[in-house]
Amino acid sequence: MTEERRMTLLIVAGLTAGLLGFSFITTGDLGDFAITVMSGLFQGMLLFLVASGLSIVFGLMDILNLAQGAFFMLGAYVGYEIHHAPGLMDAIPDANIRFVLSLIGAGAVGAVIGWMLERVMLRPLYVRPLFQLVLTFGVALVMLEGIKLVWGVRPRNWADTFSVLESSFTLFGQRFTLYRPFVILVGVALIFSIALLLNRTRIGIIIRAGVEDAEMVEALGINVRAVFTLVFTLGSAVAALGGGVAAPFLGASLELGNAFLLAAIAVVVLGGLGSYEGTAIASVLVGLSVAVVAKFTTQYINQPVWASITPMIVLVLILLIRPSGLFGKER
Amino acid sequence: MQGITAQTTMDRLRATVTSNWFYLALLALLIITPHAIGWFSGEGPFGTQVGRRFMVIGESVTWQGRLSQIFIFAILAMSYNLIFGFTGVISFGHALFFGIGGYMLGAMLRIDDFDSGLAMLLGVIGGLIIAGIASFIIGLVSLRLKGVYFAVFTLAVAEAVFIYFTRYGPTGAEDGFTFSEMPEVLEPTRNPLNFYYLSLAGAVLTFLFIRRLMYSPTGAIMLAIRENEDRAKSIGYNTLRYKIFSITIGGMIASFSGMLHVILNSKRVGPEMMGVNFTVEPLLMTIIGGIGTFLGPVIGAAGLRISETLLRDLIITIGDNEINIGDSWEVILGVLFILVVIIFPFGVVGTWTRWRASKQTQRMTEVINNSQIATSGD
Amino acid sequence: MNSAVLQVDNIHTFIGQFHILEGVSVTVEQGNITVLLGRNGAGKTTTLRSIMGLNPPSEGQVLFNGEPITGKRPYTIAQLGIGYVPEHRAIFTELTVRENLEIAQRKNDDLERKSEFVFELFPDLKRLYHLSGGNLSGGQQQMLSIARSLVPDNKLLLIDEPSEGLAPVIIEQLMEAIRRLSSQTTVLLVEQNFTMASKLADRYVIIDDGHSPQQGNMHDLVNDKALIQRYLGVA
Repeated sequence: MTEERRMTLLIVAGLTAGLLGFSFITTGDLGDFAITVMSGLFQGMLLFLVASGLSIVFGLMDILNLAQGAFFMLGAYVGYEIHHAPGLMDAIPDANIRFVLSLIGAGAVGAVIGWMLERVMLRPLYVRPLFQLVLTFGVALVMLEGIKLVWGVRPRNWADTFSVLESSFTLFGQRFTLYRPFVILVGVALIFSIALLLNRTRIGIIIRAGVEDAEMVEALGINVRAVFTLVFTLGSAVAALGGGVAAPFLGASLELGNAFLLAAIAVVVLGGLGSYEGTAIASVLVGLSVAVVAKFTTQYINQPVWASITPMIVLVLILLIRPSGLFGKER
Repeated sequence: MQGITAQTTMDRLRATVTSNWFYLALLALLIITPHAIGWFSGEGPFGTQVGRRFMVIGESVTWQGRLSQIFIFAILAMSYNLIFGFTGVISFGHALFFGIGGYMLGAMLRIDDFDSGLAMLLGVIGGLIIAGIASFIIGLVSLRLKGVYFAVFTLAVAEAVFIYFTRYGPTGAEDGFTFSEMPEVLEPTRNPLNFYYLSLAGAVLTFLFIRRLMYSPTGAIMLAIRENEDRAKSIGYNTLRYKIFSITIGGMIASFSGMLHVILNSKRVGPEMMGVNFTVEPLLMTIIGGIGTFLGPVIGAAGLRISETLLRDLIITIGDNEINIGDSWEVILGVLFILVVIIFPFGVVGTWTRWRASKQTQRMTEVINNSQIATSGD
Repeated sequence: MNSAVLQVDNIHTFIGQFHILEGVSVTVEQGNITVLLGRNGAGKTTTLRSIMGLNPPSEGQVLFNGEPITGKRPYTIAQLGIGYVPEHRAIFTELTVRENLEIAQRKNDDLERKSEFVFELFPDLKRLYHLSGGNLSGGQQQMLSIARSLVPDNKLLLIDEPSEGLAPVIIEQLMEAIRRLSSQTTVLLVEQNFTMASKLADRYVIIDDGHSPQQGNMHDLVNDKALIQRYLGVA
């Protein structure tokens, strides 16, 4: 293990310990502390769902997909819509199945739109690198306005419960729904699945090589553009899936897009360009930070706005201190 | 001796007029428009007689308001174009400066028992200074970052400030605040014509200032940075300094447009001024009009505002379905935006200029070919 | 006589606005090692990249075994059996030696079949098999880069300045390896190091300022001091 890597891991450990310690001391109550940690991990996993696609696409294609937040938001709306569709509620009374369907639907919609998007952006008749950023920004705008057009400005709150959402357990004198741990498990499962994909499969090798030098990969006889399309589509699908997963808890609202976009960007930058493990670790860190700050500011100074701004503050700080992030590789 | 210098000045004046005839004609047109509309519609530029009262309404007054809006957005778009189009720096936080101008002026004018004239003066100067400082600091700390990272930085800062102001009590949080007192001579509800000329003057001055700047050595360096920053650096220019300069000036001009905006906008100040919409609109206007051109942002601003006014109430019926254009305006705008970026990245003015240039090259090639044929027949 | 594996006919290539190649023609015959010679910036690398489709020519054509490949996507060209070894090595530093070789496979059993040959040429790679590319020395990386092009069944190898930045001892090893692999594959080489080039190549093509003014047998060039001075000497 190199010296630099050891340093970085130490910093990560330090930050985590600091966050946890700070939270533990300020919350006072073990139950509250447990909720905060759980909430932090929960948000971290949601962030990972959005950030993973963002990170890999950025590393591979040099495109920072500013529409990624909008995909998450779209997934939330689609997921809600499917689960609460009156026709479906009659046809399939089992809420669990409907929830699974809503997730599949959200992911599918994300995949289709992501695929269409990539094909359109893949044929730039003339797109300077700076313009690609503007383009994804425009796409995010269209998606936001499109959602507004279809669903209106009133947010949707999840009305129907299902097993995982309903059941709970008690720990440290606090009641927890099973839902957060469920999401955390899904997130962790995803982290490991993607890691396996990247390290053990041929497509994973191609992606890792492509992040370094996409041109060389093509010169080796591999159709990188097809890989681009695949990665982009998957990234969008996973983000939309994330929205679907978050909807029971967060509902579907127009603020989701921007909030998760900036937080996901913070994760990608903090984790470091081109580093998958960086993205995973940074997701947890940012998620925890938001949860800890939220608890602290609500408890002591009653200014919940700070929790919403935390990801932006994190992003600004990293860009000022160390833009290459924790595990970033210089390119 | 006197005679000769006088002649040269006259010559210079004549030359300036002839080379800028288009702009001067446009300016003249805009100056007489309120009067022309008043003349044609019978509803004068100062208001109309309604029964026994003289009210400040009417065709001319309405159009003065609409055009003033266009001028304000033109200023905002030009300020964005200075940073993006001429220096090649993408910022997603431009609305921040727009909002700073509005909030500063509004706050000053809101103070009771304060002479509104003095308040306005202080508000304007204060707003410009604060916007200048803010943009300077932002530029200073983050312009050394690569393009993408800087853009994201501005996005984060603008969003954070926006969210903060939507919760910040003293300025009215989400709802914002209004002010009522302001120098009557400039109030659009009392003297729309004055405000019209004020905003027109603002737009003209901004236009001239930017044109002057871009033709100067500083402007040339800004263009060089846009083309290839590394090369500009290797020649020896401190590119950071010029980028900071660009964003500071752009920020200050944007704040000025924000001030005009709150006056026209029913004297209302709200956090939406710092919201993403006021970053997107100038961005759209600049790109659609023609990035990196002088007239582009102006055309973009005019085009978009006029289109919105005309299409807002339009309802298209296709088969059984009624589509209200007004509702989907934002979506249409977004799609238009994407199309322009992909197909016409140089916008209206840019594509036109290129088309003309290629026509010229074609003509020249023809001339050369013809002359060759002529001389080869020996 | 037309056993030409590669025929480049009068190609023009632009990079941005710059007219880099202004009519370059190259013939590469089967089983030969042909070298592109010329001063810095003459257009040698651009020629290779044009053949590979990475900088497609705007005019002219490239024929590979009689079949036109101009304008095709680089991955299609590669799949026809052309291997590219760019300058500055271009191996994947985050991947292991094994993964670097695996990714080059076009058929599933390529590495299996070729590993013996590859390790015979470059025995070091066997030892370093599980190390990541970034941990290799410059010479080892260059060997990996060439080895990578040997994994699939390539009929033509384009090798760009393999000796750059390497110690003379390593260069010797490289030369030996290239000489041995040329028995199986045709090689088009770009090499600044004239000594190396002259010992290795059978034929030469001179690239000068975007043109290809001269080509012939290396054997003849070595004795032509005037020609060497004119196109390769320090200006």
